[in-house]
Amino acid sequence: MTTSSGSASAQTLRRDRDAGWIGGVAAGIARRFGIDPSLVRLAFVVAAAAGGFGLGAYLLAWILIPSGESASARSRLPTGRAAVEVAIGTGLLLLAALLTFRELGIWFSDAIVWPLVLIASGGALLWRQSLGGLAELPSAPSAREQPRASTPRTAAEVAVAESRRAAAAISRTGIGIALVIAAGFVFLQATGALGAARDVLLALVATVVVLSVIFAPWVVRLVRSLTHERTQRIRSQERAEMAAHLHDSVLQTLAMVQRSAGDPNEVAAIARRQERELRAWLAGRPAPGQAARLAAALEAAAADVEELYGVPVEVVVVGDRELDGDHEAIVAAAREAMTNAAKFGGGSTVDVYAESGAERTQVFVRDRGPGFDPAAVPGDRRGMRDSIVGRMQRHGGRARVGSAPGGGTEVELVLEKRQ
Amino acid sequence: MTTSDATWPVTRSPDPTSVVAGIAVLALGVLLLLDASSTLELSFGVLAPVACAATGAILLASGMTRRR
Repeated sequence: MTTSSGSASAQTLRRDRDAGWIGGVAAGIARRFGIDPSLVRLAFVVAAAAGGFGLGAYLLAWILIPSGESASARSRLPTGRAAVEVAIGTGLLLLAALLTFRELGIWFSDAIVWPLVLIASGGALLWRQSLGGLAELPSAPSAREQPRASTPRTAAEVAVAESRRAAAAISRTGIGIALVIAAGFVFLQATGALGAARDVLLALVATVVVLSVIFAPWVVRLVRSLTHERTQRIRSQERAEMAAHLHDSVLQTLAMVQRSAGDPNEVAAIARRQERELRAWLAGRPAPGQAARLAAALEAAAADVEELYGVPVEVVVVGDRELDGDHEAIVAAAREAMTNAAKFGGGSTVDVYAESGAERTQVFVRDRGPGFDPAAVPGDRRGMRDSIVGRMQRHGGRARVGSAPGGGTEVELVLEKRQ
Repeated sequence: MTTSDATWPVTRSPDPTSVVAGIAVLALGVLLLLDASSTLELSFGVLAPVACAATGAILLASGMTRRR
């Protein structure tokens, strides 16, 4: 129901006061047609430069277009290559409008309009980049968008996405700076002041060339070192993800097999289950029965632990959301915490409380068992260190393990919304 | 032959990018024809915004259609 009303709202032209800078006209038009508000703002600025039409049109639109609700439809914005095409297309249409105005004689002056257009375009790019960009994609794809159960790929996927985002940001910033510099050149050329600035410019260029020659080897070495360090970090994260997955699946299963050695049917069932899960993981498919939402995934994990260890697990979930890579990690960490509570909690009920909101997701796993001293856990025990604390850290979250001998154990997992 | 064996024609909605590109090329062709028949005097100042507008419209249509 919400979706349909949101869609209907996006189809009607309304001013978007929340996303707007002045009256929300540009943001409203952008929302209606599903394009970037920066392009519409740029169009108004350029039209204002060409005879002041943009100003009049904006005021008229402010009066005529009714104010809309605050819900935005930013998800409808084009991204990637489509966004580039829309931006270039809009730019060419604006250029056509400007050339037409110029041909018709509705024109201030070449010395004013062209630099203004260039500086507005460059400034819009730089502002958009500095504000984080509207078309940035989430850090990790959701399980529904892209079927994926291959946890070790997560770090690599995130690294590739980060590299692409960084490259796009550098490109946008570079183009923005080039446009602003070009605006300065065009203005100086048009006003005849470029001759006077030439000497200063030559001195500046000579200084930059000399400094580049001197410092280039150090800069190249620094860049290589950073790239090497980044590659090592990615490999290390991949190894840690792989170790955590193997610990949670194969090692746990082997422990179960040892425990159930007297029951061949039980051992066979455990082995078949592990084989299915491992095959799906190797093929990059979602695990059999993997849920697409947080609450269902936590309940499935709890049912799994309850069935495997015969310990009651009570789950309370407040709020729900789609599972993305980060939330798959919090479910995996919670499952490991439940497994630990079932194994070492002395048979007491395991309580799981999860709360998911727009800004953060928290999961608490408690047991009333004998507890333990977290500082006394041997270094080769990877469950708590890698599968819970390390996993949460790798996905931008945190984990706290509170326990004392005789006082039960509480594991708190927190995942804040990525900025 | 039963009804289920019949082959039904598949109707496809036109590609907006192709439609816009076709209209743009058509408009340019008409302008050039008018210029050739001396009905219209085309100069660079007139042709440049028309070419920009045509290219811009095609790119905009392509971007809006692709979305991702």
